[in-house]
Amino acid sequence: MEDLVGRLSALDPDAGAAVKVIAYFDRLVEGRAGLEPVVRGAAVLTGCAARLVDSDRGVDLRVDGTGAVRPSDGPPDPSWLNAPLHPGGPPALWLERAGPAGPVEAMVLERALSAARGALSRTRGPAPADDVAAVLDAAVAEPARRRAARRLGLGPAARAVALDGGRAGVLAADQTVAATRAGVGPLVPVEDLPSSWAAARTALRFAAAGTEQDPGPGVVHADQLGGLAVLAAAVGPGAEPVPDVRDLERARSTAPWALATLVAVATSSSLRTAAATLVVHHSTLQDRLTHVEELLGWSVRDPAGRLRLQLAIALRRLHNHH
Amino acid sequence: MTTTGSDSTRVGPPPPFDPELAAALETMTELPSSITADLIPVMRAGMIGRDATTEELRRGGAFEVSERPVPGPHGDIPLLVLRPAGTTGLVGAVYWIHGGGMVMGSNRGADSTKAFDLAHELGLAVVSVDYRLAPEHPHPVPVEECYAGLVWTVEHAEELGVDPERIVIGGASAGGGLAAATTLMARDLGGPALAAQLLFCPMLDDRNESASGRQMVGLGIWDRTSNDTGWTALLGDERGGPDVSPYAAPARATDLSGLPPTYLDVGSAETFRDEVVAYASAIWAAGGDAELHVWPGGFHGFELLAPESQLSRAAGGPRGPWLRRVLGL
Repeated sequence: MEDLVGRLSALDPDAGAAVKVIAYFDRLVEGRAGLEPVVRGAAVLTGCAARLVDSDRGVDLRVDGTGAVRPSDGPPDPSWLNAPLHPGGPPALWLERAGPAGPVEAMVLERALSAARGALSRTRGPAPADDVAAVLDAAVAEPARRRAARRLGLGPAARAVALDGGRAGVLAADQTVAATRAGVGPLVPVEDLPSSWAAARTALRFAAAGTEQDPGPGVVHADQLGGLAVLAAAVGPGAEPVPDVRDLERARSTAPWALATLVAVATSSSLRTAAATLVVHHSTLQDRLTHVEELLGWSVRDPAGRLRLQLAIALRRLHNHH
Repeated sequence: MTTTGSDSTRVGPPPPFDPELAAALETMTELPSSITADLIPVMRAGMIGRDATTEELRRGGAFEVSERPVPGPHGDIPLLVLRPAGTTGLVGAVYWIHGGGMVMGSNRGADSTKAFDLAHELGLAVVSVDYRLAPEHPHPVPVEECYAGLVWTVEHAEELGVDPERIVIGGASAGGGLAAATTLMARDLGGPALAAQLLFCPMLDDRNESASGRQMVGLGIWDRTSNDTGWTALLGDERGGPDVSPYAAPARATDLSGLPPTYLDVGSAETFRDEVVAYASAIWAAGGDAELHVWPGGFHGFELLAPESQLSRAAGGPRGPWLRRVLGL
């Protein structure tokens, strides 16, 4: 395989070498090769040390450019080429060489990771991410979901959590969510986690990003949505916003403080509390509200106006988060 | 070669290649499994420029390298001598015979690297013989040259700084077959006493009828067609016939007693598997001393073509310890 590196680098990197890399890892997968051959393949095909790190499963395997297994002598350098096992996950496979990746290196990373995923689940059991996916998936047989729940250390009841980027989590009954933006499903028997997951995804649509354009609470619990949950089904992609939502948008683009002010008013028990939340004087808040009510065309200080405001804010989030 | 009705013994499917070796093989599409006679010049041409240079052989000063032509029955025979640098006393030596299917290769070729590694590790000298190749030089030229080189080495041992009591003969593939044949010749002709023989995936049987040979047709490296090409180059029409000498094909020997301790290895997925296992069994049956390793899923020459693989590392492991035990190092 020393020769292999030479032969590969001599090939047209866009064509011949890529084909050989694919063939190499395909054969490893076909032969159900273990982790070490996969990491060694990455090392010898690129001529530099490669390491596979999966801290969830206690894997830290390093093979140098000659194919010898040599333990790591320090943490990976963040400038090295790397790729995660799962989209959005931490870097798992490293090539000990700074980027940018050439075509052969990119192909090696991709194919080696694909082979490593199979070898890992066969030799070390499913990744926690795979177990999470399993407990939330109604299409997975119930006994398999129960086994996955046990591996995850969940008790008899748990809740699903929907996170940004389509990521999922599960919480045992006594755990609280740590993310800044999350939809939290109801506490259910672990067999019913798929339904908790559906509710969590709905809740996530009501969760604010916490930015100037999307102010408000970032963690929303499905079992506190009440009748609002019904609205979520009504606002699909491409749905036309009602005039109140457009008015909110117009107010935001006219005055940068408008949206944060309205959200504080809608979620506080009194204007005084809202002023404290916004860190403005009570009279300043009153002046701002008078101004923004002119922009909206309705009062946000009487009960009917408050409900209308809350609905408009909720609908706006549903339009922004599908 | 044709697969005839006489191959009536049923064989199963080929044993699977080790996955890592299969992957490496997949990238070596330029190496044909079946070498026919017309490919010999192509294969030889492909090896030009791949021999180790003297500088590489020196291994950073670990070896002193010299070359000397020595007289033989068919003209001078080039011997390559590697001697551990800085040693003053006599050292043991490996008398090495390269491979290449009887038709190609040289005494500095890549297939000899493992032997040079072993000598380096154990502080032994190496004498590597460049015998004349078939088909231009058919049997008995190659084995007679190997034998003549061995006799010269033993007779000039002290001049080379070598202990004549600690000479190990070894070879890989065709070289393993020639090493086994040279050992038989030394025993039968009252020639040099050898301390051990190292037979790495040796080519022993011209009959080319084994189950392993038939299982691996068209697969891996040096398949049954290639084997027919090599033996036919060496023996011509005599190949597979009733009168082939054990000095050409050691599997033909009926007496394997009186041999030095023998190390044999082979892959389970190569043509030579069954003849190597049979040779080891015959040595044991004759009351001899042999160590046999069959590496599962190994194709012929896997250590050379995939030196980084797990199986190559495993295969390299037991040789040094064996030789230390046998030589009492």
